[in-house]
Amino acid sequence: MKRQIPFVLVFIFGAFMVFQYFIPHESSEWVYEFLLDWIIIIGIFALALGIWSLLRVSLDKIKNKKENYIYSYLILFGLFGEIIFGFTAFNGNGESWGFYLPFVACALLAIIMIIHTIISTGKKTTFAALAGVFILLSVLISIFDNSWSFHFSSAEGVQNPMFRSFFDHILIPVLSTMFALLAFFIASAAYRAFRARNLLATLLLVAALIVMMRFNPWVAVIYGDYGAKLSNWLMNVPNLAAQRAIVIGIGLGIVATALKIILGIERGYMGKG
Amino acid sequence: MKKTAIIVTAVVMGLFILSWVLKANAVSATAESNYILRGFLVTIAAFLTLSVLSFLYKDNPFYKFAEHLFVGVSAAFWMCLGFWSTIVGNLIPRVSEGLSNTFKVPYIGGDWGNVLGLDIMNVVFVFPIIFGIMLIMRLSSNYGWISRWPLALIVGTTAGLNFVRYLQSDFIQQVSSTFVPLLGNNWTGFGDFFSNLSLDASGQLVLMLANWVIFIGVFCGLIYFFFSKEHTGAFGKASRVGIWILMITFGASFGYTVMGRISLLVGRITFLFKDWLEIIS
Amino acid sequence: MKLKTVIFICLLLLATISVSAQEGAEIVPETDTTEQMPPPAPISLLTAVDTDNDNGHSVTLTWELSPDDRQGAKSVMSYEIFRWVPLMRDTVEQVRSELANTGQELEVGDPTGEIKEKRNRLRDEYEGLLSRYSDAYGQYPNNGVWKSVGVSPSGSTTFADKGSKEREAFDYLPDYCDFYYQVFAVTSDAGIRTGSEIFGPVHSYGQWFNTGRIPIFVAVLFFSFLTIYFVQRAKKGDDLYVRPLAGIEAVDDAIGRATEMGKPILYVLGLGTASDVATIASFTILGRVAKKVAEYQTALIVPTYDPIVMTVAQEVVKSAYIDAGRPDDFKEDTVHFVTQSQFAYVAAVNGTMLRELPATNIYMGKFFAESLLLAETGAVAGSIQIAGTDEIAQIPFFIVACDYTLIGEELYAASAYLGREPVLLGSLKAQDWAKAALVILGIAGLVAANLGWTDFTDLFHVIN
Repeated sequence: MKRQIPFVLVFIFGAFMVFQYFIPHESSEWVYEFLLDWIIIIGIFALALGIWSLLRVSLDKIKNKKENYIYSYLILFGLFGEIIFGFTAFNGNGESWGFYLPFVACALLAIIMIIHTIISTGKKTTFAALAGVFILLSVLISIFDNSWSFHFSSAEGVQNPMFRSFFDHILIPVLSTMFALLAFFIASAAYRAFRARNLLATLLLVAALIVMMRFNPWVAVIYGDYGAKLSNWLMNVPNLAAQRAIVIGIGLGIVATALKIILGIERGYMGKG
Repeated sequence: MKKTAIIVTAVVMGLFILSWVLKANAVSATAESNYILRGFLVTIAAFLTLSVLSFLYKDNPFYKFAEHLFVGVSAAFWMCLGFWSTIVGNLIPRVSEGLSNTFKVPYIGGDWGNVLGLDIMNVVFVFPIIFGIMLIMRLSSNYGWISRWPLALIVGTTAGLNFVRYLQSDFIQQVSSTFVPLLGNNWTGFGDFFSNLSLDASGQLVLMLANWVIFIGVFCGLIYFFFSKEHTGAFGKASRVGIWILMITFGASFGYTVMGRISLLVGRITFLFKDWLEIIS
Repeated sequence: MKLKTVIFICLLLLATISVSAQEGAEIVPETDTTEQMPPPAPISLLTAVDTDNDNGHSVTLTWELSPDDRQGAKSVMSYEIFRWVPLMRDTVEQVRSELANTGQELEVGDPTGEIKEKRNRLRDEYEGLLSRYSDAYGQYPNNGVWKSVGVSPSGSTTFADKGSKEREAFDYLPDYCDFYYQVFAVTSDAGIRTGSEIFGPVHSYGQWFNTGRIPIFVAVLFFSFLTIYFVQRAKKGDDLYVRPLAGIEAVDDAIGRATEMGKPILYVLGLGTASDVATIASFTILGRVAKKVAEYQTALIVPTYDPIVMTVAQEVVKSAYIDAGRPDDFKEDTVHFVTQSQFAYVAAVNGTMLRELPATNIYMGKFFAESLLLAETGAVAGSIQIAGTDEIAQIPFFIVACDYTLIGEELYAASAYLGREPVLLGSLKAQDWAKAALVILGIAGLVAANLGWTDFTDLFHVIN
């Protein structure tokens, strides 16, 4: 029963989406649109589960003092700091943010102390007392400092420039640098793989070299535009053929798997018990 | 080792603070009011960039610092964005007018009528909240099985959607794409047929040969992906041709992306030398 | 003397006449010839029908070209289409516009609640007006005007009067109302035009079946039949051969290697969501891997990108441990969420690889630019790597950096290979038959296209 009803639901919704594709009527469109909206909204609730899992793993590392547990504090600092920035905003009273940064510091320390109160085996009272002090300080600042406030309601969304600053100066640099590492890794991968051990590796190597050489100005000097023409032909003819074969295969694979899911033949994703 | 680590950390911290001071000084010369914060932000961005680049040498505390900070900040970032864009922007305006007023977002009423005095749109959008709560029941050891229902909704809906979508794009359209002229179009004599044999030309013979290569490539590529027949004999030979064509494709794709990847590195190096060190203008 | 006088008077008269004639010529206006240009011939055979295979709110008009279409002195340069609309349309538009404005005012703020009240009142008024729309259209030809709804260039014989289905849109076109149309053939001078006969009434409405998608419907039935047929055959016990796949066979060896070395196995589900079919295929493979891992008592690490994927993966791994008879060995943190940011996830997984030093890395699912980062870091860590993805752009990187790669469709076939369940093998057979059908249809279509048999090639034309 606990497992059967979900499979019935899978069949109902799956079959509906298949039939909906052939029904252009408005009512079918509306159901399609709000089903897609539902999926997005349910996904946000799932994020709470994800954050809970991340917290649990970090707390477990701190509690058991596993290797590199110190860095888990950074996860907590980044997580709760950004959450505070996401739900506070400048009120426009005065020019500065008043005691906002001390509030952030007190709030973060309070969270750390609460965590230690929960996970530590000794000194619980000390941690609890410290947590109380920091919570009190945070509450007092939030009550008496009018230059900023908590912010959960607005059509404009996040209002705190620090939220954006964290994005611009922490997320973007690390993200871009991780992306940039690909330049090094592609070179190391090419160095390791481009050895003509067999025919297949040779074909891979030659095709890659032909396409890469297209960007080399010296090739044009030596071979004229023959290199570019060969490279273009390679991309437009055999590449197109193989891509089409792969796309057809993938498409049929997706279609078959989707049908197996709808008909309940594929059941592994639902677990047992 | 510990002493070395302390010395290295101290040197790096010292350089960080020096960079912060110098950068703040440079920004203050441009009469910006929050030059200390600006200097700090640019320095932290450069520090994180170099920390991640240090991963190329080996795993080290600076990379661990950047990695863990990145994980925490990004998790919260997407959570906040999800709350503002989906809960406040998409759900609340549809579920209740009162809640919309509380959250100061414009109420999106439906035009599907009312049932028992309630707007049908409001009723419809209560269901994802119920499903969301059912999903969170995953945390309960006794009632965790309830979380399968919203999963069934998500998996079933997208399976149905993908089924027809890919059947159209990867089956029907691919079949019709293979309908190419193999024997050439509009015969106008041998002269025109054999004219312009350059690879990039649109001469009849070149196009015809290209179509034959595409047809054979697709045919042999599909043969390679046959699972229920042993690849022996003529079938096996066609399969071999198929994997050769696949390898040519993968090599070409690999070569094609190399330049794009190099340009990403150029972007980061430009940030370090221009925005941080101001060596280049 | 008299002769001289007569000659003088004649010359004077002659001059006067010629001057008068010129002045007369100047008076005649140059536009005279334009005003005298006759209007063009009208279009003929105007028909209007509900647009087919849509959700309603659209009417398609067709006509025969005017004989003066792009030719002659009264050359028709365009066709302007008019629809009769009731006078109340102006009121409807005004109320709609005010309603839209209140929405914008609400975003700024409504401390007294006045704007909200006004909005509710306007909404009720608007709905009331819309409910009377059908009757208003039915009053033709009284209480209405002709409104231009579009222009078609010369040479065109069709026009789609498409409106919005959103009731608060400025171009909302109601269904089941009597529409009347007239098409004017217009010359280069917009004032010189000829109208056709009025056509109507015609209703717009949504269809319940899209006939343009019949080829896909046939494909759905065909594929479903194939799958059900082969699954039934497999259930009856038919032996279904599948050729060996190196990547799949390597999974067992890789798990054994990890057990011998006493190191964990890292399983990466990719960056897809639980709705991606590649991720669902990966769940099945994870289940098999987890069962083996449970039997051998090897450690398993499954960092996830999506929280729903984490939820499902936890279920899958837990079930695998139960199946292997080791439910107590399952740890909830085996499967954990990292972050929903692509490169933050990769940074964390890379760090895990270099610290935990797994013996085997398995990448199955949807991967994007981070594929090479993962695979190269795993290679540096000295792990055996098996990858499978349906992202064509990433397959080359996995081929280059991993020991075994499942290309595209092989990922979907992997679940059948690993479990060897008859029903899954049956569906794999159906996939192959569908491929064979595609090849046969492709060849048939190729022959038809080269011989000019468009009836066959048109069967595969889908109208969206």
